[in-house]
Amino acid sequence: MRIIVQKAKCQGHARCAAQAPDIFKLDEEGYILPSDIEVAEGEELPASRGARSCPERALELTR
Amino acid sequence: MATNPVPDHVPPEMVRDFSLFTSPGMPPTLNGDPHAAVARVHDGPPIFYSRYNTQDGRGTWVITRAADQRKVLQDAETFSSHRSIFSSILGENWPTIPLELDPPAHGVFRSLLNPLLSPKRVLALEPAVRERAVELIERIAASGTSCDVMKDFAFPFAVSTFLRFLGLPDDRLDTFVGWGKDLLHGDDKERPVAARTIVAFIDELAAMRRQEAVDDFMTFIVQAQVEGRRLTDTQVRGIGVLVFVAGLDTVAAAIGFDLAYLARNLKDQQLLRSEPDRIPLATEELLRAYPPIQLIRVATKDIDFEGAPIRKGDYVSCATMIANRDPAEFACPNTIDLEREDNRHAAFGYGPHRCLGSHLARREIVIGLEEWLARIPAFRIKQGTAPITSGGHVFGIENLILDWS
Repeated sequence: MRIIVQKAKCQGHARCAAQAPDIFKLDEEGYILPSDIEVAEGEELPASRGARSCPERALELTR
Repeated sequence: MATNPVPDHVPPEMVRDFSLFTSPGMPPTLNGDPHAAVARVHDGPPIFYSRYNTQDGRGTWVITRAADQRKVLQDAETFSSHRSIFSSILGENWPTIPLELDPPAHGVFRSLLNPLLSPKRVLALEPAVRERAVELIERIAASGTSCDVMKDFAFPFAVSTFLRFLGLPDDRLDTFVGWGKDLLHGDDKERPVAARTIVAFIDELAAMRRQEAVDDFMTFIVQAQVEGRRLTDTQVRGIGVLVFVAGLDTVAAAIGFDLAYLARNLKDQQLLRSEPDRIPLATEELLRAYPPIQLIRVATKDIDFEGAPIRKGDYVSCATMIANRDPAEFACPNTIDLEREDNRHAAFGYGPHRCLGSHLARREIVIGLEEWLARIPAFRIKQGTAPITSGGHVFGIENLILDWS
């Protein structure tokens, strides 16, 4: 599983990091780091929760 | 009141008799529920025109769907937030910053301020926030079995947290709250007086910090450099005024509406008291149900938006309390479900102007509820009293008298 990060759409709500801080890493301003995220095995549930929590729809799940 | 002419380009069938200021449930109402009252717009068309829908009496387009609000608020190029919301009260024209700057200027100031209110920074502020909550609630618990939550807890808690962030002492808290009340809820005479008082206060504070630096927010602002230059006096004022005003009212209102809900819904109250781990998720649902803010944008060009012929200069209202009750976005939007998952509510807005203080606000509410429920036994609205609620520019609740005898 992979999460495509549309960095330009991130507005720093930080809801993803609230769901899964180890998967969704934030910069000093509280916005998501730019690169896409490879989800480790066993972390699919928190990763998909985090991706679904984005109010801006900046995170897209792919398999 | 609703006497504004409808602009020629607005089709008459798109005009509806709705206003966040004058519709039923919006003026001060005993035992009101202004958020539920506005949710009724979802029985009508997704976009319409209201002839009277801002504090200064202007007409606006009203965007009701969360998805459409997202489109408007994410597109700052077409829908600008610069309307001199504060300075126009004084007959002037300067932006509050960063709210009323559009990209790219906006991003520069936002990057300056973001680290001060990032999730990480808020975590460091938490112990002091919790200590303040505990101190206030223990005083209330020790002094009887009833209190006015707004006066005794919500305002002193929210505003002193905020004053501490700004580096200002608590001793003028009541004065500051009074300015905020006059500015946000006052009449045409009170608002300019309050605005002038706040500007003078911020200007004086900035001058003091320029003269002598201390470790606080205003010192940071007057020393900050953007693109290699110190900020101008107007920029310092634009930031100071916005940050000051933003903290005076919103969090207190949210805590008031939340505790009023819990006072009327004892099962939910008991659930959160016995299982406090549920409070962060419940807070998201309460943020969805009771957000206090309407966001307004100004069209920078003609655009046909989802069937609405919006023309350059038109005002476009994105009321968070309307998006948050959108049945296309939330199942059973008028049911408050403290276990609701996937709750992507609009309480802090969408797009580049997402509430800068959102992380602090949300933690203040969580901490306030945690400490209140841990120290105050089953509470109800005191018999013979009725909270007064109001809609308008910032939704509010006065005199919430709770009783736990």
